[in-house]
Amino acid sequence: MTIEVKDVTKTFDGRKVLDNFSLDIESEHSYIIAGPSGCGKTTLIRIILGLDKPDEGSVKLLGDYKYPYIVSGTVFQEDRLCDDFTAVENVTMVSHKIFKETAREELEKLLPAEVLDKPVRELSGGQRRKVAIVRACCIPNDILIMDEPLTGLDEKSKEEAIRYIRDKQGSGPLVITSHSGEGFDFGRVVNL
Amino acid sequence: MKKIIKKALPVFFWIVIWQLVAIIIHNKILMAGPIETLQKLIELSGSESFWASVGSSLGHILLGFVIGTVLGIVFSFLAYKEELVRDFARPIVGLLKTVPVASFVILLLIWLGSSNISIFISAMVVFPIIYVSTLEGFDATDHKLLEMAHTFRMPEGNVIRYIYLPQLIPFFKSSFKLAIGMAFKSGIAAEVIGQPLETIGNGLYNAKIYLETGELFAWTIAIVVISFICEKILLLLLHVMGGRKA
Repeated sequence: MTIEVKDVTKTFDGRKVLDNFSLDIESEHSYIIAGPSGCGKTTLIRIILGLDKPDEGSVKLLGDYKYPYIVSGTVFQEDRLCDDFTAVENVTMVSHKIFKETAREELEKLLPAEVLDKPVRELSGGQRRKVAIVRACCIPNDILIMDEPLTGLDEKSKEEAIRYIRDKQGSGPLVITSHSGEGFDFGRVVNL
Repeated sequence: MKKIIKKALPVFFWIVIWQLVAIIIHNKILMAGPIETLQKLIELSGSESFWASVGSSLGHILLGFVIGTVLGIVFSFLAYKEELVRDFARPIVGLLKTVPVASFVILLLIWLGSSNISIFISAMVVFPIIYVSTLEGFDATDHKLLEMAHTFRMPEGNVIRYIYLPQLIPFFKSSFKLAIGMAFKSGIAAEVIGQPLETIGNGLYNAKIYLETGELFAWTIAIVVISFICEKILLLLLHVMGGRKA
């Protein structure tokens, strides 16, 4: 599978955030979209996910792909968790294909077992971020797209999270945005 | 214990005032006291027709409440999804909110007769309350969570359970509380005007004809108690339905 981002331009309030941007996202490859705040990283991800339309240019799914949309395991810029529900429920709720036992097993790879049954509103910022990462990785996906996934994590947690994401990547592509690109030495860095 | 005293003491105070006023007026037709009202209530509750009336009114009003609630929720969802439905529903909802219940009662009496009048009137009063409040709840739903659900292709049932419902429960709690009270008030008023036999409204009307103020108060207390119990059961159901959030 290849996602072809071709000549994409997007303007917000008269400011060109993306200007004729092109990128081919291919299976088994990792892409680190790097750049300072406001350079268009989140906009690019939203366009790839089909949540925003580009002013010009296109995003196409090339090759033999059975869905008209991208089946993505996504980490958004914000955690986007359902606050009243537990970490396990937040992972299982997104798909009937994720079972409680699997969710618990996966969450335990990044989080202490005692926090898994607490409503996520009681979790720390870093713990919530990890739940969002596990949720993205657990759902059956053809691509992992993560917008600043390591925000709020300490150094040790960052390393664990990267290891976990790499382990769960499978054969699909991985797209990560990062302020500096630091810590992601395994993928192709695309500077915006 | 302190909480119970805090609630019970003012009630007791006003009952005493009521009794004092009744003693001062000293006219059973104008003002029956609490003791006489209680005696009447005990007397009424011994008769078969009292329970038949309560059962009939309760059944009709609750059915109206359910119809109004279901329609209110369904239409608020449609209005949330489709701007056109919202635009077309607006004048109808405004009309239902402002036109006096008595006008609708008389119109329905002409069209449909009196037997099921309280069902329609309760439904008509409940519908706009639930519609407006539920729509407000839908509008306040976190669009970022909905975007997340869309991206993950989250199953519809789970979107309702985990995203919409926790958002709607507080709106349901306030609107159901208001709606159930209004359903009883308007439903009984419709019965008083429409006079279907063996209903609370009919009991109230007869009390008025025979100047039985004690009986009138007794019926009123019965309505207040039934409405209170229904409200509590409803809130309990919401609590169970909403889990932690409620």
